[in-house]
Amino acid sequence: MEMKATEQNRRRFFDYLFTLFIVVSLNFALPRLMPGDPFLYLSGDHGEEIARFSTDQIDAYRHQYGLDKPWPAQYAASLFALLRGDLGYSIYYNKEVSTILLNRLPWTLLLVLSAVFFSTVIGCLLGSLSASFRGKALDRLLYPLMIAVAEIPAFLLGLMLLFFLAAGLRLFPLSGAMTHFAGTAGFWHTFVDIAHHAFLPVLTLTMVRTGAMYLLARNAMTTVLARDYVRTARAKGLSTARILARHSLRNAMVPIVTRVFLSLGGLVGGAILVENVFAYPGLGRLMRESVLVHDYPMIQGIFLLVTGAVLSANFLADCIYRRLDPRIGLSTEVQP
Amino acid sequence: MTTKRLLLFSLLLFLVAACDREPSERPKAQDSTQKCGAAPLVIRLEGGDWGYPSPFAHYPRGPGGFKMALIFDSLLERDEKGLIPWLAEDYTIQENGLVYRFKIRKNVRWQDGKPLTPEDVAFSFKYADRHAATWSYIHESVQEVSADGDTVMVRLKEPLALMLDSLGRTRIIPKHIWEKVERPKEFTTPEATIGCGPYLLTEYSKEHGTYRFQANKDYWGPKPRIDSIEFVPVSEPILAYENGELDMIAVTPDLLPRFTADPANKIVRNPAFWGYRLLLNQKDLELLRDVRVRRALVYAINRSELVEKIERGAGVPGSLGILPPDHIMAVGDIRQYPFDPAAARTLLEEAGLHATGGEALRLLPSGEKVSMELLCSGQEVRMAELLRQWLAEVGIEITIRSVDGKTRDDRVRRQAYQLAIIGHGGWGGDAGYLVSHLVGDVFTQDASPSASGTAGLVNPELLGLLVQQNVEVDPEKRRQLIGEIQRKAAELVPEIPLYYTAGRTMYRPAKYDGWINMFDHHSLQHSKLSYLERTGPAAIRR
Repeated sequence: MEMKATEQNRRRFFDYLFTLFIVVSLNFALPRLMPGDPFLYLSGDHGEEIARFSTDQIDAYRHQYGLDKPWPAQYAASLFALLRGDLGYSIYYNKEVSTILLNRLPWTLLLVLSAVFFSTVIGCLLGSLSASFRGKALDRLLYPLMIAVAEIPAFLLGLMLLFFLAAGLRLFPLSGAMTHFAGTAGFWHTFVDIAHHAFLPVLTLTMVRTGAMYLLARNAMTTVLARDYVRTARAKGLSTARILARHSLRNAMVPIVTRVFLSLGGLVGGAILVENVFAYPGLGRLMRESVLVHDYPMIQGIFLLVTGAVLSANFLADCIYRRLDPRIGLSTEVQP
Repeated sequence: MTTKRLLLFSLLLFLVAACDREPSERPKAQDSTQKCGAAPLVIRLEGGDWGYPSPFAHYPRGPGGFKMALIFDSLLERDEKGLIPWLAEDYTIQENGLVYRFKIRKNVRWQDGKPLTPEDVAFSFKYADRHAATWSYIHESVQEVSADGDTVMVRLKEPLALMLDSLGRTRIIPKHIWEKVERPKEFTTPEATIGCGPYLLTEYSKEHGTYRFQANKDYWGPKPRIDSIEFVPVSEPILAYENGELDMIAVTPDLLPRFTADPANKIVRNPAFWGYRLLLNQKDLELLRDVRVRRALVYAINRSELVEKIERGAGVPGSLGILPPDHIMAVGDIRQYPFDPAAARTLLEEAGLHATGGEALRLLPSGEKVSMELLCSGQEVRMAELLRQWLAEVGIEITIRSVDGKTRDDRVRRQAYQLAIIGHGGWGGDAGYLVSHLVGDVFTQDASPSASGTAGLVNPELLGLLVQQNVEVDPEKRRQLIGEIQRKAAELVPEIPLYYTAGRTMYRPAKYDGWINMFDHHSLQHSKLSYLERTGPAAIRR
């Protein structure tokens, strides 16, 4: 039994490694398959200036960034660099890819983690309430309301909040992640400032995500609440709150945990629309822009990060599943 | 249980934090009018990351270069009318345009206190020739540069009229900092932004897209009028302007009525120097080699309506002389092409493309229908649709091929298209760009927007004129040649400029009213003179 578990863990580890390798290779190849290259600028966006380079200068830059070497050589070089933990140097942004990512990651993390957290808590809470009052007035009010909110596109919701709460009532700042050029402020002041700026983006993301969480929780709870052991608990005379919290929620947790980790995996891309609406310095905008300008090392770096996020979210989900429901770990072992 | 309480508490905290701020903390819009001895004048403009503002590290696209130009001066500057002496007090052009001599201003200091010498200027040219500076176009043209006394001499490999502009715009960098730098594009330490210009960079954040510039107290030239310029991230510029968080924004036509009535706002139409061209590939499509067919295309396309429908009026219809009407060298007496489908039909008939038996489409003599593929990027699909409709009315079938921007650029560069729509800026620049516009594939090794044009144009007379103006250093003679080229181009229709955009810019004159447009550019906030007193070398010219 012990042996089997290690064997299985090792297999799983190699599975992850193999997936990572495939993704890294795709990350290398896909940007280079796009037509054009990082130094080709013929057209500009509306009203935008573009600097010109001669073909000689472009060749010099291609040489500097190693883009003149054949693909296999570039591929090998990028793999070796990656093994050393070097993500390369961004052609467009003129900085190490890892530094750019590290400077932006906290902002995206702040938005997405808070949104996932709040939407999960609120969704589960309302979902459980709805399930336990199924068919009653509360449920009949919540159900359509949550579906309606979940169906509003994130950017539209963001714009509405921006218009009414930030521009109209002036409760929140219009854009950005913090107040700039305000001079040095204490830790507490900075903290409040950042929370103040993050409020609307987080609210938008939370509102958009809560609906799905609510439906999931409601479904799971409804199933669980119909089980015999819940009826037993009721028969014992336990309060509704206790039945929900101690006897049902944990059993209804598995699909919810899956959803939470799926959301975490989609960390980078998830907030892109909201980041755009609020001019928030996250990774989503960076991803979009680096694809537009064909910044190969940057694209590779971001997608590697995305891959890492998805894989580790999967891995964590795997582990937590087994703790939540010991049968999951066992079930594979029962197989002949 | 404790975790739940903690959670509830933090949520509450968040709400309190969100609500306890008073709107009074916001920057005020109206009350900071600059009076003598009043509070420092701070101007806030729309930010966004356009790269570290050194001459080599700002991004090749977008307005990063104009931020860089606040820190770095060049030999010549631009005012409303043309080039003006700046770091060069004076210049002469000798040996039929082969030699340029610039007399370098004295008593100029770098922002680190060291003096600027002619040696620095010579170094800057050599450096820009060796490394691709994003805004210097002197590459491959310079034979020799030397500093002698207070003069810098530049000898070209061959005369080139637009070199005055190119040399004049090249940023002058301190030798003592850059001589050790081998990879200038990656040199982004604070030293990289030491220039001799009117502003110092005091803050820059890549991820937030913020820049802060502070007036250089020791500036050699006209005094900076604005104490600090702050570029901040903006979600909705209009809302930010109304809230007083921004001092200047672009206004779209549909929002104009909301602001025109209020005298606190001043609205200015930008010169139309950003345009869309319809490229005609004569190499690929034999049909297009017939000038009657090309003229028919112009008659069939309603360029004024393009401006109305796509830009809602904020633009100027394309001129077949290629230079936009706002260009300082544009001439008016060129062949005009009003929207006239009947004239288009007549021309196509003359060219032997007939529509038989009530068919909508015309046929080639070989019996095939007249059909062309129109390449555009996703952003120009609406425009392409309009062109398709208009051309269908005169019997030409258009298939629209919409791809992403880079793919379109790539195919245009490889001349793998029949018709293509491409949009770019720089139409206000030195008229020498006509060479690469018209015969770019023959002449330049340039991968620039304008060098993307007009595959397969063969016309000895036009070619002759283009070569002549290329080496003509007498401004008046050159002006005449450029005029002649525009007339010729309007006759030959090598390409069809569709329209030039002319947006509106709005600001509050009560706060600051020093904004001007450079003669060759469309943005008030990009002009260095917008931030300076109009005295000395920057004095207003009559």
